[in-house]
Amino acid sequence: MNFLAPLFLLGGLAVALPVIYHLVRRTTRERATFSSLMFLRPTPPRLSQRSRLEHLLLLLLRCLALGLLALGFSRPFFKETPLIDPTGARPKRLVVLVDVSASMRRDGVWPAARERVEAVLRRVAPMDELALLTFDRAATALVPFDEWNRTPAGDRAALASARLAAVTPGWAGTHLGNALITAAEALAETDGKRAAGPRQIVLVSDLQAGSRLDALQAYEWPKGVDLLVEPVKARNVTNAGLQLVADSADSAAAATPTVRVRVSNSADSKREQFKVGWGRPDGSADFAGPPLEVYVPPGQSRVVAVPVPKNSPASDRIVLRGDDEDFDNTVFVLPPAQQKLSVLWLGRDAPDDVRRPLFFLRRALSDTPRLAVAVVARAPTAPLLADEVDAASVIFVAELLPGAPANALRERMLAGKTVVFTPESAAAAPTLAALLGREGVALEEARPGNYAMLAEIDFKHPLFAPFADPRFSDFTKIHIWKYRKLDPASIPDARVVARFDSGAPALVEVPLGKGRLIILTTGWQPEDSQLAVSSKFVPLLYSLIELGGGVGAPPAQWFVGDAVPWPVGATTIRVPGSATPTPWPADTKSFTATAQPGFYELTVAGRAQRFAVNVDANESRTAPLAADELEHLGVPVAPPETDAARPVENKLLLQGSAAENRQKLWRWFIAATLAVLLMESVLAGWTARRLNVKQEEPAS
Amino acid sequence: MTATVPSPALSSAKLIDPKALMSIRSLELRARAVVEGFWSGLHRSPYHGFSVEFTEYRPYTPGDDPRYLDWRVYARSDRYFIKKYEDETNLRCQLLVDQSRSMNYGTRGYTKALYAATLAATLAHFLHLQGDAVGLLTFDDQVREFLPARHRAGHLRQLMHALDKPSAGSATNLAAPLERITALVRRRGLVALISDFLAPLDQLERNLLALTACGHDVSVFQVLDPAELNLGLEQPALFEDVESGRTLYLDPAAARADYMVKIKAHGEALSAICRKLGINCHRLSTDQPLEIALFGFLQERMKRGRQFRRATRSGNGGVS
Repeated sequence: MNFLAPLFLLGGLAVALPVIYHLVRRTTRERATFSSLMFLRPTPPRLSQRSRLEHLLLLLLRCLALGLLALGFSRPFFKETPLIDPTGARPKRLVVLVDVSASMRRDGVWPAARERVEAVLRRVAPMDELALLTFDRAATALVPFDEWNRTPAGDRAALASARLAAVTPGWAGTHLGNALITAAEALAETDGKRAAGPRQIVLVSDLQAGSRLDALQAYEWPKGVDLLVEPVKARNVTNAGLQLVADSADSAAAATPTVRVRVSNSADSKREQFKVGWGRPDGSADFAGPPLEVYVPPGQSRVVAVPVPKNSPASDRIVLRGDDEDFDNTVFVLPPAQQKLSVLWLGRDAPDDVRRPLFFLRRALSDTPRLAVAVVARAPTAPLLADEVDAASVIFVAELLPGAPANALRERMLAGKTVVFTPESAAAAPTLAALLGREGVALEEARPGNYAMLAEIDFKHPLFAPFADPRFSDFTKIHIWKYRKLDPASIPDARVVARFDSGAPALVEVPLGKGRLIILTTGWQPEDSQLAVSSKFVPLLYSLIELGGGVGAPPAQWFVGDAVPWPVGATTIRVPGSATPTPWPADTKSFTATAQPGFYELTVAGRAQRFAVNVDANESRTAPLAADELEHLGVPVAPPETDAARPVENKLLLQGSAAENRQKLWRWFIAATLAVLLMESVLAGWTARRLNVKQEEPAS
Repeated sequence: MTATVPSPALSSAKLIDPKALMSIRSLELRARAVVEGFWSGLHRSPYHGFSVEFTEYRPYTPGDDPRYLDWRVYARSDRYFIKKYEDETNLRCQLLVDQSRSMNYGTRGYTKALYAATLAATLAHFLHLQGDAVGLLTFDDQVREFLPARHRAGHLRQLMHALDKPSAGSATNLAAPLERITALVRRRGLVALISDFLAPLDQLERNLLALTACGHDVSVFQVLDPAELNLGLEQPALFEDVESGRTLYLDPAAARADYMVKIKAHGEALSAICRKLGINCHRLSTDQPLEIALFGFLQERMKRGRQFRRATRSGNGGVS
């Protein structure tokens, strides 16, 4: 018989207690009276006379009860020979998911991850199926199931190890949810040939808090697939990261322009003090200028405005120093560039005439740091210049155009231009007809009794979408004194975007070819309406320009792995780290090979165009993920598997524990203890009664 | 010390077992049972009627009570003679009964106090039957009850009643009652002191001397439980003194030898005092029949009577 808790056997020493009790029993408990103690002296209790044990049977029962209790508590069991057939186990199906995101670049993480994978490969039985996948933003199969099955059983582990050795962590973010879904679906597919054994995903990852799990929220985890997490830890925990924050308009307009970066410190960091400053283009460790001292407590972030150094055009990256890990310490910054646009005005207005629409157009489209709109005014009679038309985002037509320019404008409009027709009077109707390419389009001057208002506005249209919020959607304050009546039924495909309260169309959009014609039946000058002096005017103009395709430059920065839209006409790209541009197919829709952070340089029509790619800011959140986060999302996380290299004693202990659990001998011992105690009680009661009778006999 | 061994005549008589006697609740009945049994056991006794025995004639002297003149002698001899009988002396017996708390000890189913009360009642009854005046004084650490010696109807019952009263006493103090009795009882008589004498004997001699000096005839009855005589306890226990409440742990087996020596020495000290003062000391164990005590008492009285007679015959001293 073996014992699971042999220390409890020491409790058997308690049998000494009843023995002592039986020896010293009642030496001092009795009291008696005596007439006078004047002739008596106290005598010490003498045990010698009592050293003989009384009530031997009682004593034996008490000792037996204690001994049985001690035996019961020491959890005895009979050793069993385990009947485990190594071939009897069902074949497992495993997917080993190895994280290769940027956070795995930390010190000591990748070797540890590889060790974990090797350990998993060692545990795999010959009949098990395994697939080895790496993941960052998406999962990539290194060794798929079929290749594993094709390979001879002896070479499988070596194959997987060799494939893994060729991989190093990249720079991309961790989309753990996507990877888990991919792996779970790979496991859920069965070829139907084998009996379905246990299916498991072994996730080897640093499980950083920045892992994206949102994909799992809408995913129903397949039954029978569980996740075994093999977490790897970095040697150093202090990590702070940089993230570029969108520029505020005033930072560029300020006397000393700044670039704002967010410095976020990991929750488990040990340090709080960091330095942020412009780095050197060659990537060397020191700052290009004096750095800023930043204090960020662990788990928090601070936004720092880094002043752009004057006379240093090479400043293109901001670096952070003071933490342990370098992979997320650089952001590549492109200096903010002002976008230049132009708008063509076809009319005879004098620029300084405060009653004319051109005056208000110029005032409304004044320069901003990000955008400079040039208003080019041309007389209607002047010939259209192709360059000006090409450059213009929107072409405003206010007056009657002669036939030739009107037709030319129509051509350009069909090719993709946006033309806004705002007739000053009904006399401009022939130009409208020319632009539409139809006869019989009539305009009629309308002057409402008091004033007209904009009533039915389609806020779903891109022009009015910015006003969709109820706070901005009130257009009734704009009084309109006169407008031109247009019958929209006379124009096919016309879409009335806004109407006056009389029901007459106020703004009509007519798609023509690739471009569109927008008809505004009233002007914004004070003679026509109050539109120019209302707060809606400038946003409406910018909406028009945006509709014309002018505004909306691509963001200055991308994250690693993002698909960057491929500009029309671009033929080559130079990726970071390479000196020469690589030719690229011109019909590419988007460029997805943004595998590392840095500047990518495109050549568009002979001009170099750069964009910056940075490390995903979430990768900087390197504190470990909360343990139950995955379980909250419905992923059954299995407890860590016992290692094959576990000490033999532990194994024996486990076997013993299992055997004890099955046999439950302790129950019998406790039952026997209770039975003995019952007998002891009966016997003690009987003995006590007999003694009492004996004592009463001489007394009576 | 008077031997408490019964005479052959007495031993042949059927004595009452003290245990059976003590189961009688009424003290008077108990006393009567002893005395009547004693009479029936003694009806052939040579001592019958000793107390009415003629003693002497003596010449009348002026001042004597004329009613005691023997007119027949006067008729014969024309001289005045006074006729003296021993019973004429009219014994006045004062019973001193210890009711201290130590007397409430007993291992035989009754206490020493009960035994002592029965003894006192028996003596009282017996003396009363003889026509003697009997008085009672009960005491513990001070005098509790005092009944002067009288011989009248109802007095005996009163006395029994006083003896029957439950004692609420505490410690034994022999000096107080002895001093008191010395002060109260001026007329010479018999004083029977019944106690366990389990108290220091320092002043006992002086007080007894005072009594004897007053002319009292003193008898001492020491009543002890058999367990007190031989420390008849078996279990070791924490023993508590019934008088003082003091406790001490005792193993009787270990303490017995020492105790026996001390109690014997105490008894001998008491005997020595009594011997010195010419007092009779009776040691009674509560398991002894009371008749034996009574017999011993009477035997002693007889002896003293003879001594007294011898003394008066040899000398000229008289007894008034």
